[in-house]
Amino acid sequence: MQRSYFKSTILLLSLLVGLAACEISEHPTVTPLKKEGFQTDVIKRTLGPNVAGLDIEFAFAMALPSAQGKLVSAQVEASIPGAAGTYLESKSYYTDGSGNDIGVTVAQPFLNEGKVTKVNFSADTSAATLRYYYQIPAAAKGQKVSFVFTATSSTGETISYNMGPYDIAKMDMVLDLDVTDGAKSFISLEDMKVYTAAEAAQNPAKIDLVYLYRSIPNITFNHALVAPSADAQYLPGVTLPAGVNRSAKISKAWNLRDFHLARLQFSIFIDDLDFERLDISNSPDYALNMRSEAGAWVETADGKYRAYIYINSVNNTAKSAKISIKRYTMK
Amino acid sequence: MKRYFKILFILTAVSLAGWGCKTEFPIDEDGLLITERAECFVSNFELLGPDFQTVRTKNAVIDTVVQTINIEVFFGTDLRNVYPQFSLVTDAKLTPKITGKVDFSDLNNPKVFSVISGNRKVIKPYTVYITVQKP
Repeated sequence: MQRSYFKSTILLLSLLVGLAACEISEHPTVTPLKKEGFQTDVIKRTLGPNVAGLDIEFAFAMALPSAQGKLVSAQVEASIPGAAGTYLESKSYYTDGSGNDIGVTVAQPFLNEGKVTKVNFSADTSAATLRYYYQIPAAAKGQKVSFVFTATSSTGETISYNMGPYDIAKMDMVLDLDVTDGAKSFISLEDMKVYTAAEAAQNPAKIDLVYLYRSIPNITFNHALVAPSADAQYLPGVTLPAGVNRSAKISKAWNLRDFHLARLQFSIFIDDLDFERLDISNSPDYALNMRSEAGAWVETADGKYRAYIYINSVNNTAKSAKISIKRYTMK
Repeated sequence: MKRYFKILFILTAVSLAGWGCKTEFPIDEDGLLITERAECFVSNFELLGPDFQTVRTKNAVIDTVVQTINIEVFFGTDLRNVYPQFSLVTDAKLTPKITGKVDFSDLNNPKVFSVISGNRKVIKPYTVYITVQKP
């Protein structure tokens, strides 16, 4: 009898505890930004270091209750004027059931006026999400940039949202340079260009590396990046133009497929800090057997430039390769 | 009878606990167990370049009698910046310890690494001979 009474009490108590646990909290943990009225929100869609020439992409959302008016204009003001490719889309995007971004034209084409990029709405709408692409200008290198996103309603009410500041990387980047053995094979990190022997002879002090491809019996040479100063055995059959004799430190890397250079699925980013902390002082002046998707850290003889050269692709038959470079100026 | 089993069980548990607490395998200065194993050899050897890719052209030849490791590396290997990797017999350890890149560039003075057995009583020095691919 006593045991049965005890069991019932336990059961009742546990039921009560269960009910209490299921009670809906009157204090939600997520507080709305604003209960009602005109609102904006912004998210940054791009990741990784902000390199001059690339875009920083934002999604700028704005909405107000239809009873309170409609959207009239939207604008973004950057603290540093964007490069020529800066724009605010005139389409509002939503995501369909399959995850695709679907654009609906809601505004007139954008206008760039110095630091401000603006659109005027052409559709009768009270909600929109516009994409803003800020093309990083060369003038912004090493600086910080911030943005003010502003939307205006038909009642004249304006609402702003601040983003940033964001650091703009000091490094430079160049993509898809073609190098060919015996033709365009002289690489200048100062100019971030590839020269022919004749062109290299014009600017011998700017040539840091020679690209060559060799298929030599008994050894694995293949595609190579070699400093002009390297031992002749690493430059077989290469006749250097007069004055091309600079040295460099080269260290091979693998599995370092920088997202900007490789444009593959790997979210690996080489940033300014990587160049600042790089120590390849004990490295040789050559890198042999470079493969596709490999890379090499390079430091010029004068220590002025540090770079990462990524091999996008190689072609053994054509004795050529496609390379992309990130370069950081040390001095 | 039941009491007899109980006493037997308790006695067994106590003796097991006592045996379990015995410090039969002490630890050495590196915090590694000193065991009873006297085996002392290298079972595999690898050499990685600064890009953490192998630089050997074929498998290393390990002679456990004369205690040598012979390895051929690719032409142009940067031997000042390579990472050696030794696989040792169970419980053995290596000296000097490998903590990062090792400079193997002085081919005339090959590097020597010693394997110490699990019981720390047998020490066998292994000499690493490197040859570079020639055209």
